[in-house]
Amino acid sequence: MAHILFDKVSKRYGSVTAVDRLELEIRDREFLVLLGPSGCGKTTTLNMIAGLEELSEGDIYFDGQIVNFMPPHKRDVAMVFQSYALYPHKTVRDNIAFGLKMRRYDRAEIGRRVEDAAERLRITHLLDRRPQALSGGQRQRVALGRAMVRQPAVFLMDEPLSNLDAALRVSMRAEIKELHRTMRTTFVYVTHDQAEALTLADRIVVMRDGVVQQIGTPDEIYEHPCNVFVASFLGSPPINYLEGVLETDGAATRIHAGSFAATLPPEAAARLSPPSGEVVLGIRPEDVTGLVAEGGDAIITGRVRTVLPVGSDQYLELRVGAVDCFFRVDKGARLATGDEVRLGIDCARLHLFDKATGRSLMR
Amino acid sequence: MIGATGIGRGARYRRRSRLQDWGHRLVLLVGSLLVLAYALGPVVWLAVSSVQDEREIVSVPPHWIPERPTLQNYRAIFFAGEKEVTYATRRKGDPSTGGYIPSTADSLLPGMWNSLKVALAVVLLNLIVGVPAAYAIAKIRFWGRSASIYFMLATRVIPDIALVVPFFLIIKKLGLIDDILSLVVTYLAVTVPFTVFVLVSYFESLPDELDKAARVDGCSRLQALLQIFLPLALPALVAVVLFAFLASWNEFLLALMFTQTPASQTLPIVVASFASDFTISFSFINAAGIVAVVPPVILALLFERYIISGLTAGAVKG
Repeated sequence: MAHILFDKVSKRYGSVTAVDRLELEIRDREFLVLLGPSGCGKTTTLNMIAGLEELSEGDIYFDGQIVNFMPPHKRDVAMVFQSYALYPHKTVRDNIAFGLKMRRYDRAEIGRRVEDAAERLRITHLLDRRPQALSGGQRQRVALGRAMVRQPAVFLMDEPLSNLDAALRVSMRAEIKELHRTMRTTFVYVTHDQAEALTLADRIVVMRDGVVQQIGTPDEIYEHPCNVFVASFLGSPPINYLEGVLETDGAATRIHAGSFAATLPPEAAARLSPPSGEVVLGIRPEDVTGLVAEGGDAIITGRVRTVLPVGSDQYLELRVGAVDCFFRVDKGARLATGDEVRLGIDCARLHLFDKATGRSLMR
Repeated sequence: MIGATGIGRGARYRRRSRLQDWGHRLVLLVGSLLVLAYALGPVVWLAVSSVQDEREIVSVPPHWIPERPTLQNYRAIFFAGEKEVTYATRRKGDPSTGGYIPSTADSLLPGMWNSLKVALAVVLLNLIVGVPAAYAIAKIRFWGRSASIYFMLATRVIPDIALVVPFFLIIKKLGLIDDILSLVVTYLAVTVPFTVFVLVSYFESLPDELDKAARVDGCSRLQALLQIFLPLALPALVAVVLFAFLASWNEFLLALMFTQTPASQTLPIVVASFASDFTISFSFINAAGIVAVVPPVILALLFERYIISGLTAGAVKG
């Protein structure tokens, strides 16, 4: 049971503000992901939950109780670190049991929990080894085990998968998700990998320069980014931007961006605020309806610079006017560098941002 | 034809490289022996001459293997108190057989005991003060953190001789003249900065995340230090223990100033007094020298496997 509340929390190191007036509610048993680039304050936020960093300003509540000055060992939290931080002089068994020993659990209970965790993480055969004798993936499991056995109220993870290879990362993601399902406890997970955030999170908090940009479910964040930064940070390859002008002519709202012109569907147009002016048009690589033979409305035209097959589909790097854009097309399309192509764009899925502020114009 | 020449050249090269290899080894061997002789020569002479009498010790050429080995010097050290030593009794001794025993010979063992007490106290207090200080400087961010380490290092720039007078005045004020406590206090001032410096470097080389992991796992700061950092810092601890012990064991200047009677005199002072007696027995002084090096050698042998990694602790950050 843990419901965590940040009330105008700031953290400063000298003149540098790492976290600026953070207001955040972490619900009981949810999987919350703090997402952002290096130096955005996500790890500092995690450390403040753990009690490893003192607050410069504001309050943190655990289940309604202020915990600003509560030391880490008095908070019911467990943490998995990027470097795993296993104790090199202890065996795997002692590493996993350490937290329980410090909390004076009886020996039989410690043994039972360690065995259970080891079995679940499939590391029983490694229990008597030292961390140096383990591979990266095995160390990761031990670090998870060490946090798991404590059955904490809050499970904190600081980029736990970033030192693993790509294949292992994907399988560990699934295991962490399963762990959250079975442990039924609050998870706070820090990452700079948007794919990890989208896969794991119940809700994502996107941060930049110590300031929260957007909080929402993965779908909300991906489908309705609140600004250019959030839109760019999620999605791979990233969203394409074209500068353009929005015009309202009677009932119809049209967007012009270079050779691209389209009439917005009425339901999308109704959400615009304001409905005209200079804008940045965002098109996700996958929001194409397909290759079309002739020009017309909502068609983007460009010359192929590179074709990037990814197995299931292929990505095209297109030169559109003066910018390079990525679009996903069916792998059956036979295209080569230098070809002129026309792609139909799904107008219902366009993103429009204010050119001056970068904020989304879609309410 | 070309092939045959090639093979011949190959064989020549192999022979030459084998010769070079042997030459290289020979140079290394001779060099090592020279360094060994230079380093161990005085120690061997100390040991050999401690079991010789006065006549043999001054013979030319020197006897590296004693012709008449004797334990009379060691007997004199361990049973010095049993014989009354006066100018009159020593005059009876035959100078050529070297039966001299310094008048202060019976102070040697008490001096050694004083040295041991001082050194152990200094080692213990170094650890009690230095370990938490180093952990705090290495792992806790606080105002004046880097200033404190520079300040401590700055104290090591001042030569001990410059500190003798201020130290003396303080010790006198505290009423600790001729008390081994005066040595413990002043040696701490000299050794603690070094201890802190070595341990800070070592603790800094251990990842911060270990500290965080320990604290989240339920350790207080002190428990994190004792349970996680100390076991990992064993090589550095051995280095500082050795340094503090040897610095105290060998220290002469401050001991000379603050101690006056055998009740507080340490080994270096007692041994030095043998050379300023009205007659001098070199073989006895050498035997005393051997006795003086035994405790540090035992300590070094005990911790031998940690010494090298400890001495280079913090030199290269991983």
